[in-house]
Parts: sequence; C-alpha cells; structure tokens
Amino acid sequence: MKLAVFVSDYRMTVDTLERLKPEKMGIILVQNGVYHASVKENGNASSILDSSADLYALKEDLETRGIDPANVDSKVKVVTFGDVVDLMFNDYEKTAWL
Amino acid sequence: MATTKLGFIVQRPGYKSENPKLALTHAIASQSVEIYLDDDDEVTCDVAFVGEGVLNCIKDQKALDNYQFNSTESHVKMGLLCDLNIFICREDLEKYGMSESDIVLNAEEMGGDMDVKVVPYEEITKMMEEMKHLLFF
Amino acid sequence: MGKLTIGCFASLVGSTNLDFAVKLAGAALDKGHKVDLWVSGNGTMLSLQEQRAFKDYSYLEKPVKELMEKGLNVTACEACAEARGYHDSNTLEGVKRFSMDWYLGSTFDADRVLHIGGE
Repeated sequence: MKLAVFVSDYRMTVDTLERLKPEKMGIILVQNGVYHASVKENGNASSILDSSADLYALKEDLETRGIDPANVDSKVKVVTFGDVVDLMFNDYEKTAWL
Repeated sequence: MATTKLGFIVQRPGYKSENPKLALTHAIASQSVEIYLDDDDEVTCDVAFVGEGVLNCIKDQKALDNYQFNSTESHVKMGLLCDLNIFICREDLEKYGMSESDIVLNAEEMGGDMDVKVVPYEEITKMMEEMKHLLFF
Repeated sequence: MGKLTIGCFASLVGSTNLDFAVKLAGAALDKGHKVDLWVSGNGTMLSLQEQRAFKDYSYLEKPVKELMEKGLNVTACEACAEARGYHDSNTLEGVKRFSMDWYLGSTFDADRVLHIGGE
C-alpha cells in the first residue's frame, strides 16, 4: 500500500500515525501539522521528522502561521496545493487524514 | 461487475463528536448505494475500531434514555444487521482493561447473525491493505 | 485525468478544514481532474446561501460558486443539513442534497478519496 497521510494537528490526539506500516508512506503536513516542520519543543525537533516516510509541508499553511518555508527542516519538502494533487495522483494510492 | 471496497477507521470516542456515528451511518448507507451504480456494481464497507475508538463499542449505552438520540452501540448493531464487517482491535481493548464481555458483540436480539470481529491490529492492517480507499474518523 | 472525491465533515466556521478541502478541489480542477465534494455533519454549513464575508471568519460561498462553474460537484448530506435547520429553500444554488449513499456512490469510480473527518 502506498499511503499519503495528511497530518493536520501539532498535538496528535490519536496514535494512528505510528501504527501505520504501509510499503510506502508520505506524510503531508497541513494546517497545524506544519508546526512539525519547524518547531523545536524544548530544543527537540518533532519525532515525525525521524520517520522514514517522505515528508512534505504545505507552503500556504506554513506562511499563514508565520513560518518561512525556507526555514523548515531540510528533511521536509515544501509543496503547494497543486503539488499535493500531483502527489496524491502520482505517488500514492490511498490517503489518510489524521 | 465491479466492487469498490471502503475501509472506515474509527479512532476516537463518540458523543462529544458525532464522527464515530457518522462513520457507521455512512457505512450502513452502502445498503442503498446501488441507486447510483450500474447493475451488479457495488460499494462495500468494512469498519474498524482502533485506539480510543474501541470505546465506542462498550455495551449498554443509554444515550436514548439520557439524550434522546440513538447510541453508537445501536449503530454498531445496525451495521451488523446490514452484514458489515466490524473489526475491533484486541490490543486496544486490552489497553483499556476491557474484554469481549464488555462490548457489543452481535445484534442477536434484532435478528442479526453477524458478530463483531475482535482481532489483533495486524488483521486491521491487512483489511486496510485490501481496501481501495480509506476513511479515517 | 482522474477523479477525486473529497469528503469533509468540519464546519465552515470554527475550523479551516473546509477551506483546505475547497482549495484542494480548486487545485485538482485546475489540473483537469474531476472533483466531487461531499459535505456531511457540520460540513453541511458550506451549503448555506447568503454567507456574509467577515474578515474574522472563513467565507467560501464565492470560491465555491466559482469552482462549481469550473465543474466542481458539491453535494450536502440531506439529513445532516435538515437536522441543523438548513433546508432546500436556503441552499446555495448548484449545491445538491442527497442521502449518505451518494458519497459512497461517488467513491465507486474515484481514483482518489480524501476523507477529512475527525473534528
């Protein structure tokens, strides 16, 4: 299974993400999920960035929250809504919104 | 004939949010979806309760008495009456100190012959692999 | 080109999930995909006409109308709408209202489904 997971929260209220084990996973950080791409809590980056999944963050949602897309973690690729559509159709088969 | 399989994954408890109930009512709607499809085509829905979502399956819910609306339990039973595959994660039940004696298991009193399937999370992963689309609630 | 079905259960005001859904729908339409948008639960608020555009609240009537002109298919859950006092008479022109099986029917031939629930 090739799964694109939309992470829309900073503080996750479910543990689904760490339990998903697809053959290929992309994590698309959107809405408050984009904080995972840049915020360091007590000096530590988000554990999501340790994932082996491909990591993306939505440019519009970074900018909306005052985060410069140029300053996100180097593991995270900044994408537009159009890029998200292409990822969904070309790189993954299923989606999950968490 | 073609079949599209949908997997409904319920991860949160109900009542504060209507989402678990909407998961079940949408899955039950697979019973009437043929009006939008060609002959012999179908959409099937499996439902899995995981994480805190298993709390939706505690039996003897009194929502109708206290709030005058149908309980999530009654929707689980309706799903069984409609022959939906309903999975409940065994590890998550155990995590919350529950066993099969604490949850809705079937809809026998309504004439149903399907039982919920209390299974290891691994089985739910397999179900998700088999589905064409996943809907997380 | 493919078909994308988006389901969104979050309200127009109080969350930006619907804003996300509408922007994603627009991006998919721009790329030539067919897009169905199903709104259910609190998401049915999107189907209301005469939304007022205050700067402190999400406002989607205008963008949704523009996207419907480009082919966006918007359908609201009729029972969820009626339960909230949203009737045919105050439904945004072009938005359809059906029962929940419509959403499942839309997924039948969808290449991708994004279900935005969990509020």
